[in-house]
Amino acid sequence: MFKYILKRLLLSIFILLGVSLIIYILVRSMPYDFVSNKISALQSNTSLDATAVEKMYEMYGLQDNSFLGILKGYANWLGALCRFDFGKSFVYGDSVLNIIVDKMGVSFAVALIATFFEFLIAIPLGITAATHQYSLRDYVVTILVMVGISLPTFFFGQILKDLFAMKLGWFPPSGLLDASQTLDGIALLGDYLRHMFIPILTVVILSIGGRMRMTRTNMLEVLSSDYIRTARAKGLKEKIVIYKHAFRNTLIPLVTSLAGLLPSLFSGAIITEQVFDLPGIGNVAFKAMMQADIPFIMGYNMFLALLSVVGVLLADLMYAVVDPRVKLS
Amino acid sequence: MEQNEKWNQSEACAENPELTAAPVTAEENEPLEKNVRLMSPMRMVMRRFFRSKLSIVGLVMLISLFLFCWLGPVVYTRWGETEQDMSGKIEYTMTEITYKNEKGEDVSFYQVIETGKRINSLAKPSSEHLLGTDKDGRDVFTRLMYGGRISLAVSFIAVFAITLFGIVFGGIAGYFGGAVDNVIMRICDILMCLPGFPILLIISTLLDAANVESSSRIYFLMAFLTLFSWPGTARLVRGQILSLREQEYMVAAEAMGYSTSRKIFKHLVPNVMPQLIVSMTLSLGGMILYEASLSYLNMGVRAPFAAWGTMINIVAEDQNILQNFFNIWGPPGLCIVIAVLAFNFVGDGLRDALDPKMRR
Repeated sequence: MFKYILKRLLLSIFILLGVSLIIYILVRSMPYDFVSNKISALQSNTSLDATAVEKMYEMYGLQDNSFLGILKGYANWLGALCRFDFGKSFVYGDSVLNIIVDKMGVSFAVALIATFFEFLIAIPLGITAATHQYSLRDYVVTILVMVGISLPTFFFGQILKDLFAMKLGWFPPSGLLDASQTLDGIALLGDYLRHMFIPILTVVILSIGGRMRMTRTNMLEVLSSDYIRTARAKGLKEKIVIYKHAFRNTLIPLVTSLAGLLPSLFSGAIITEQVFDLPGIGNVAFKAMMQADIPFIMGYNMFLALLSVVGVLLADLMYAVVDPRVKLS
Repeated sequence: MEQNEKWNQSEACAENPELTAAPVTAEENEPLEKNVRLMSPMRMVMRRFFRSKLSIVGLVMLISLFLFCWLGPVVYTRWGETEQDMSGKIEYTMTEITYKNEKGEDVSFYQVIETGKRINSLAKPSSEHLLGTDKDGRDVFTRLMYGGRISLAVSFIAVFAITLFGIVFGGIAGYFGGAVDNVIMRICDILMCLPGFPILLIISTLLDAANVESSSRIYFLMAFLTLFSWPGTARLVRGQILSLREQEYMVAAEAMGYSTSRKIFKHLVPNVMPQLIVSMTLSLGGMILYEASLSYLNMGVRAPFAAWGTMINIVAEDQNILQNFFNIWGPPGLCIVIAVLAFNFVGDGLRDALDPKMRR
């Protein structure tokens, strides 16, 4: 087990190195004058002074386009990265790490609540669909969640926004805070939740489908296994067979996928946050990327890569923890 | 071949339950053909596929979408993709203006403003414009058809390219194993950890910097997407080939002295095809969503050219259109949903039909 984890950790470091190389090459392919044009357009309205930008250029080796210069730039950047120095954003004028940590809260809250409801709704649906396979109920549930999977985020988000915010006026259409009033304590939290309602609803409806189908497939597989037949042959009630014997085994892949989901809670959703103008990390990253904010682009992408590496690792480890039949080697 | 026979027999058994009691062999009195209806594997797959109503619904949806997008503009030539309706009319707005003159009396008069609108924009649906016109006076119905062409074609090209890459790299990795396998799989690991969407945003910025024309941007983006997305398919192919490699017919192929490429691409890959076709169909839906999202963020196809995502893009900037002109942004969204749903239905149907273990 220990040896396995060590091996996986080494592999993760190798993967991150590869990812960093690709990201660096991509960002370096931006023509220098394109970047400097964008930056000088920005400089007038941010707190970033010329020397700081110059220092950034230096750090990423942006001016030296010889092979050695590129190599040196990469080494410099990687060195800074290892010291957790993500650089200073051109657009926001703050340390990239600070911005990521600062904006992560909103994205995390939306993702966490959405994931909670996703599991809460999808698992019972998946189980009824599986226990009533090929019945009308199964078809209705399957078709509905299929429609859910097929909806584009931006389209469905706009429909919900149009319906709940514009036509009915129940929830605010965008943003995170009502600027017209100052709130604190519970009222502030309530206002946050009111603003987050439609985005969360969108994410939940779109993601139920995948989870429900996963539950259904697993449940069907478990229900056809020998020990379920044994349980039924013993004369157990169908309820006990399903909820005590089958359901526990259905949970194995679900718990594993939950571990894999953990890091993605922090990564933010670019399109959802874009549609509802939520000040989360996805929205910030989108704006930074449009403006060739090199430090932020590199820092954010490395952050995402780190999250997905951790996610894969966690899922694999969790698999072995939950299911005693799995042996890591 | 061996597998084909097994399939035929089991299918026959499923069709005629009484046959399961006695195994059918050629030694019996009657010739085999009279007892058992022989079906080619292809026909059996078709039969199982068409047994499911959902797959038929999906297929019909797909065919009608394709007809709509490719034949539509040929039949309905009233408007072009980027053609603007210039038949705008003159509008009069009348306002009453009241003011106090020097003596302190209220004086009022009517001010009539004549606005000549050359472009017939934001027209309501009519016989002239079946779904109305958008902000720039372009016919929504016509753009829906042209937009569908781009969205569907781009997704198909991308999925085929991804599959091709996946087959080649996965096939090589699975067949040779050892160091080759290791190198290819580590590359897969790296590519799979790349954050896909943000990377495409970077590439989109690069395309901006390189001044790529707006009509060809989406092809560049999809080409890069292909470069980053083949590992999934490669893993699937590799996994299948690893297990197939050990089967007897491969020993036979070895004994026949076939060349390596023939063994991989003629004997191993065709056996992976069923799984590949299923994963391709299902990923087509995902690809359409991907393309639409890119176009929605104004990264992919840009106005005046049409793509389904591009046509919805307008609501992000204009609250008025979001609230009052569903005829502009609703239809492209529905088209995306129909296309993705259809591919999912067909993919599901194919998966059930191609799985020999599946019994209903």
